[in-house]
Amino acid sequence: MQIAGSKELSEQVLNQDLCTVCGACVGLCPYFKVHKGKLAKIFDCDLEKGRCYAHCPKTDVDFEQLAQALFQQPYNGDPLGIYRRITAAKAGERTGTGDFQNGGTVSALMTCALESGMVDGAVLTDSDGLLPKPKLVTRAEDVVKCASTKYMATPAVSCLNEAATDGKTNLGFVGTACQLTGVAQMRLNPLEKSDFVDPIGLTVGLFCTWALDTRQLMDFLSTRVDLKTITGMDVPPPPAEVFIVKTGETVVEIPLDEIRELVPKGCGVCPDMTAEWADVSVGAFEGKSDWNTLIIRTEKGEQLVEKAVAEGYLVLDDFPAEGLEHLTLGAGNKKKRAKENVAKEEK
Amino acid sequence: MTNIAEHDKNARHLLMGNEAIARGALEAGVAVAAGYPGTPSSEIIENLARVSGKRDLYVEWSTNEKVAMEVAAAASFAELRSMCVLKQNGVNVASDFFLHLAGSGTRGGMLIIPCEDPGALSSINEGDSRHFSRMLEVPLIEPGDFQEAKDMTKWGFELSEELRCPVMLRSVTRLSHASGNVVFGDLPEVDHKARFQHDGFILDPDTGIVSSAPVDYRHGLQQEKIKKAEEIFETSPFNTYTGPEKPELLVITSSACNLYTREAVLLLGAEDRVGILKLGTTWPLPPKLLEKHLAMTDKIMIVEEVIPFLEENIKILAAELAGSIGAKTFYGKRDGSIPTTNEMNPDLVVAPMAEVLGMAYEGASAEYTEKALPLAFFNAPSRDLTFCPGCPHRASFWNIHHALTLDNRNGFVCGDIGCYSMAILPTGFSTLRTMHAMGSGTGVASGFGQLGRFGMDQPVMAVSGDSTFFHAVLPALVNAVHHKADITLVVLDNSGTAMTGFQSHPGLDTDAQGGDAIKLDIRKICESMGITVRESDPFDFKDTQQQIFELMEIQEGVKVLILKQACALSPEKKHTKKFEMKVVEEACRGENCGCNRLCTRIFRCPGLVWDQEQGISKIDDAICVGCGVCADICPAGAIDRKEVA
Ligand SMILES: Cc1cc2nc3c(=O)[nH]c(=O)nc-3n(C[C@H](O)[C@H](O)[C@H](O)COP(=O)(O)OP(=O)(O)OC[C@H]3O[C@@H](n4cnc5c(N)ncnc54)[C@H](O)[C@@H]3O)c2cc1C
Ligand code: SF4
Ligand code: SF4
Ligand code: SF4
Ligand code: SF4
Repeated sequence: MQIAGSKELSEQVLNQDLCTVCGACVGLCPYFKVHKGKLAKIFDCDLEKGRCYAHCPKTDVDFEQLAQALFQQPYNGDPLGIYRRITAAKAGERTGTGDFQNGGTVSALMTCALESGMVDGAVLTDSDGLLPKPKLVTRAEDVVKCASTKYMATPAVSCLNEAATDGKTNLGFVGTACQLTGVAQMRLNPLEKSDFVDPIGLTVGLFCTWALDTRQLMDFLSTRVDLKTITGMDVPPPPAEVFIVKTGETVVEIPLDEIRELVPKGCGVCPDMTAEWADVSVGAFEGKSDWNTLIIRTEKGEQLVEKAVAEGYLVLDDFPAEGLEHLTLGAGNKKKRAKENVAKEEK
Repeated sequence: MTNIAEHDKNARHLLMGNEAIARGALEAGVAVAAGYPGTPSSEIIENLARVSGKRDLYVEWSTNEKVAMEVAAAASFAELRSMCVLKQNGVNVASDFFLHLAGSGTRGGMLIIPCEDPGALSSINEGDSRHFSRMLEVPLIEPGDFQEAKDMTKWGFELSEELRCPVMLRSVTRLSHASGNVVFGDLPEVDHKARFQHDGFILDPDTGIVSSAPVDYRHGLQQEKIKKAEEIFETSPFNTYTGPEKPELLVITSSACNLYTREAVLLLGAEDRVGILKLGTTWPLPPKLLEKHLAMTDKIMIVEEVIPFLEENIKILAAELAGSIGAKTFYGKRDGSIPTTNEMNPDLVVAPMAEVLGMAYEGASAEYTEKALPLAFFNAPSRDLTFCPGCPHRASFWNIHHALTLDNRNGFVCGDIGCYSMAILPTGFSTLRTMHAMGSGTGVASGFGQLGRFGMDQPVMAVSGDSTFFHAVLPALVNAVHHKADITLVVLDNSGTAMTGFQSHPGLDTDAQGGDAIKLDIRKICESMGITVRESDPFDFKDTQQQIFELMEIQEGVKVLILKQACALSPEKKHTKKFEMKVVEEACRGENCGCNRLCTRIFRCPGLVWDQEQGISKIDDAICVGCGVCADICPAGAIDRKEVA
């Protein structure tokens, strides 16, 4: 991995409009901050090598190094990343109820991890009005309060960075691929700091094809609905081609084509649909919106799933071969598109 | 300090130029003095205010220079002697009234005293107000040394009374702020009686109405006064010649350049080759006096600062007199002998003088100058212009910078004149993006605030000091409100005219003489215009930034945030430390990724110093004033503050 400083980060990512506001460079120092979904560099930092650059998922990512560090095996280029098995899953009764996006698998796993002491805290994404708000949760019963997907690019990693600076360890983290790539790179201690302590206990990845620019989405929606009344959003699986905004009384359907205009350019070069650098990854389940697709990648992930099932937090089901085919195709297509877009960028 | 109100006739005192001017005014029996603070003029009003009780004077710091001139003029109309004191750009502010005053004429002797700043030592311009004398047709006199500063002030009142028009007496930094020997004259018994006569024959200058109309008639009168001034100046003792009867080179000069020229002649040992005509009366020029001296030689050098004012006027006369005095070769600004910007000094006179005289002179070597100039310019590398330790402006601009950067819509701040002008530099995080005259921050912002209709989507902010608010921001603010400009004005209220030394202003409850005054409340003034007003303490980063964000969210109209925190040098704060500060060595991240010296590289309060050897920042106890603010910027919580009991 070639490590540079904040100047290069600005040149290669910010100025190219490639930032997806994952927050990996935020909360480390006084120079990068996020306000209302947008990253800002407050002052110039003249260090030649910095964690901001080293952690950012939009600078060169060394997949080989990550695969070795996280999975102790070479990177294999599989569209779904390195994994052990795939299954269908949803929250069991012990998880309690919440405003789950799909089957509540994510909430179930984190609740279990916290309750069993597998992690001592979890960085989740709550919201403040419409604005996604990363949050460190330490009580198992608070996990479900953060349920549901906020379809906006969110600086979740900044919250993890701050917690780590505070000396917190053994933390759970839920996030999309860019966020988890940032986290994975952070865990490599790229600057070889002598006082480095890996703050991570467990990572849960979220499938992701794109996120939306927070400010653009708010501007866009404010002309159609009263922002204060929005209770949730969803992207039903293909062939629906709509973005759904739920308000108190109604459901507003917006053609996906209009929504795609609000996707940051950085998502276009993102090769990772299934959050490959996590212990487990969770996404929607084709055809059954109250179930999830669950990819188990590491031994730790396996242990957590087994425990969650055994203790009634999680329920599993078979994953159909047809589903795997579609998933692989979708993830492969994302990699291909990203490659093409990177090539375009470089030209 | 010399008491300028002592009788002490014939005693010799070491006086600052501004004190000499104040003494001259007292000797003339001045009754009213008004001004607006501005370096290098402020000490004149301050000195007069100090002795106002003893000498039965009325002295005020007016809201702005135009008002100051109006206040002084009223006293003249009521047959009292009065003066208006301002700095060079202050004349511009007052110029509209000045034009009309020149037309209406005066009664009691009235002096307009601009103290100017060639080289812009404490200004952001090197304006030259001499042109106003020609443009507005009023006489201009310029003392050439400290004694003259006193004597010409006294004489100026008499001249004004004789001519019935205002007289400009101009000083410059090197005269106003340097000191020299002055022999005192007599102080008159004072028994001022004011009465304004206005019911005589309408056109009678002494008993009728005071006005520049009817213009044709009054303008004619005014020009007769200038003719008369010309005659008086022919024999003025303040125009002096020193040198041989037939000099090779005649130097014509005035003001501080008189001192530089004299020194240059001495340095060259050219006393028997160079003659110096020092003019104390610089407009209108006395033609006969000039004819006599121009006839002495063919080579004429004109030494003055900044714009070629004397030079051009002399050349006009020389052209008119060509028949009798013959053709001349001029050395000055037009041929490049004398620079047209910056202050003069003896070296700058010696070099061209030596060349004209064909003398060898070893001035400073080119190499030396090349090295010295940038050093002098940056005022020694580590001593760049910076806000004082504990200055609330540093905190205010820290907040504004953060809010605008985080807002991330390429917003900007329009500024103007005050200590806060320095926010154009790194000490204020280079936050100001436009900077002009007093009040212009708000005026310019008011204009930007209309450009949304043409697609401008950048947030527009303005800053103003509390004194500036009253001086010239008010009309701009009214304009912005009336036209629904989308702007946020941040009033940096540090409770005083800090830049020039804590003179009073309308937001305070004392006046120049130390008496009770009515304090005007900026917040209430703004609210009465229907403005959304918020207030915060700039030392409270969280609240201040939150207020700015919230105000910027309000898209339409004018918003005002008042940031209140007294100046670090203010009388109530000086020499008191609120907190004992300390950097916890083990916690300091220094140059490492994670801080990279935020405190000593960016925040840069002079109370924080970088210890290169240990690789940590430290508090310099001698400089730190204990404001406690830096504890809130440190990302590592390494700066510790302990309340001083
Ligand atoms: C931006 C985004 C795009 C997505 N796109 C797809 C997709 O294309 N295909 C697909 O199958 N699945 C996608 N998902 C995942 C999907 O929406 C569900 O989150 C996932 O199926 C888990 O459902 P659940 O019921 O288990 O979640 P829940 O139990 O409701 O928990 C959701 C979890 O997501 C976290 N979260 C919410 N918003 C964010 C955010 N912006 N950033 C980080 N964490 C967040 C919360 O902390 C919460 O713990 C996306 C998720 C996000 C955040
Ligand atoms: S190099 Fe380190 S200190 Fe500098 S901006 Fe990057 S993360 Fe911050
Ligand atoms: S993508 Fe993440 S790490 Fe990279 S610049 Fe944006 S917020 Fe920072
Ligand atoms: S598509 Fe990739 S870059 Fe964009 S939000 Fe999702 S994981 Fe991040
Ligand atoms: S800001 Fe804090 S951590 Fe950084 S150099 Fe200063 S004292 Fe040290």
